[in-house]
Order: sequence, then C-alpha cells, then structure tokens
Amino acid sequence: MKYILLMSGTRAGVEAYHAWPKQDIEAHMAVLHRINQDLTESGEFVATQGLAEPKEAKVVRGEKNGVPVTDGIFPESKEFLLGYWIVDVPNAERAYAIAGRISAASVNMPIEVRQFATHEA
Amino acid sequence: MKYILMMNGKRSDFEGYAKWSKEDLRANVAFMRTFSKELKDSGVFVSTEGLGWPSEAKLVRAGKNGEPITDGVFPESKEFLAGYWIIDVESPEQAYKIAARASQAPGAGGQPANMPIEVRPVLSGHADLGL
Repeated sequence: MKYILLMSGTRAGVEAYHAWPKQDIEAHMAVLHRINQDLTESGEFVATQGLAEPKEAKVVRGEKNGVPVTDGIFPESKEFLLGYWIVDVPNAERAYAIAGRISAASVNMPIEVRQFATHEA
Repeated sequence: MKYILMMNGKRSDFEGYAKWSKEDLRANVAFMRTFSKELKDSGVFVSTEGLGWPSEAKLVRAGKNGEPITDGVFPESKEFLAGYWIIDVESPEQAYKIAARASQAPGAGGQPANMPIEVRPVLSGHADLGL
C-alpha cells in the first residue's frame, strides 16, 4: 500500500529553521538522507520531494477566459507543505513507524500520513 | 523548472465534493483525465497523485524512544492536500497558466469551480537550501 508522509509548517516555522546554526541544519539533512537510504535499501522508497519556501508560493485561480490570476497572500496560520515522502509498505503501522522516525529526526514535527485515492487513476 | 500544483481543501470541502451529483463528479473526473493527458502530450508532465480522504489522515509524532504516536484529530480550519501535479516548465508564467486551467475544472452544476491552486517550485536538491 502506498502512503504519503507530509511535512508541513508555517512561514514562521520555516524562518526559525533557517535561523538554526548551519551545522544543525546539516545534521538534520544528514539524518533525512540516511532515512531515504534505508527506505531505498528496504525497497519501500517510492519518491521524495522538497518544496521551495513559502515566500515563493502563489495561489492561482482561472478567470472566465482562462487567464491566470495569481496572488501571493496567505493567512499567517497557513501550513505550507515543506516536503513529502511516498512509501510503499505492507500496512499503516509501518508507514507510522517511518513517519515517527522522520519526526524524531525533525524536532518532533508532526508528520501527516495519508493514503492515496483508490478510485480511478 | 519543476513546479508543484496543489489542490487543498478543508474537511467541509471534501464533504461538499462527496455530495455532488454523480454526473458532476463524472464531469470533474473526465476533466482531470483530459488535463493529465494534455500535460503528457505537451511534455510537461512529471507526476500526479490524488490523496485519500481527510478522515483517513493521521498525524504522527515520535515518542521519547522513537515509537510513533498517532493522532487523528485536526482543527476544523485545517487544509488537507487533496492532490497534486508536478510539471516541468520553462517559466513560472507557464506554471500559472496550467494552474489556472486546473482551477477551471468543472464543479457542482458543471460550472468552473475556480478553486485556488497553490503553485510552488520544487527543490532539485539540498543545494537549493544553500547547503
């Protein structure tokens, strides 16, 4: 079963992360890299992706004639997706265990675990 | 440049979607299929995924000894990711144009839903974080 593990944070949280000493950020990245390696070795790795910073986010709507209307203003409380992992595991418990490991590596940040839609692809 | 286009919604939005008529749901799904095909035909498609319902979402934190602690309680205001597309395009403007098309997917009554699509560049590697 495929699960997606989502790491989200507010703009303030991202700014706090950037204020970490460089060596702490490097150590954090090293652990995440190690987790990716372990998932690859166990055959559970499907994909991972980090997203650009919230300040680069735009929200887009289509006008009647299809012209994109962009807006870069979000509420302060908005949780931005920071990155995700897709894993293919036998059960939800295993997905939670992997999410727990990512959380432990990331100052106990909560990781949202979701299944994929099972209807038409 | 790779961009991610995200559809987000509150639990109430998902519940609203579930109440659409079968015909409206079919029109929406047909649009999404055509949209994905267009992205593939134009060579900008990287990947797309639809996520399961918020009622199946869990929040996981690590306990003191690393064991996962799961929780399924979210504030009502929480925006859940409903699905995403990753595209590889030449400019942000091209990404916005494609997002606008996704925004016009037909909603209830077959009218364009005009739902907001969040657009962000995706990182190609740790170098993008300045490491």
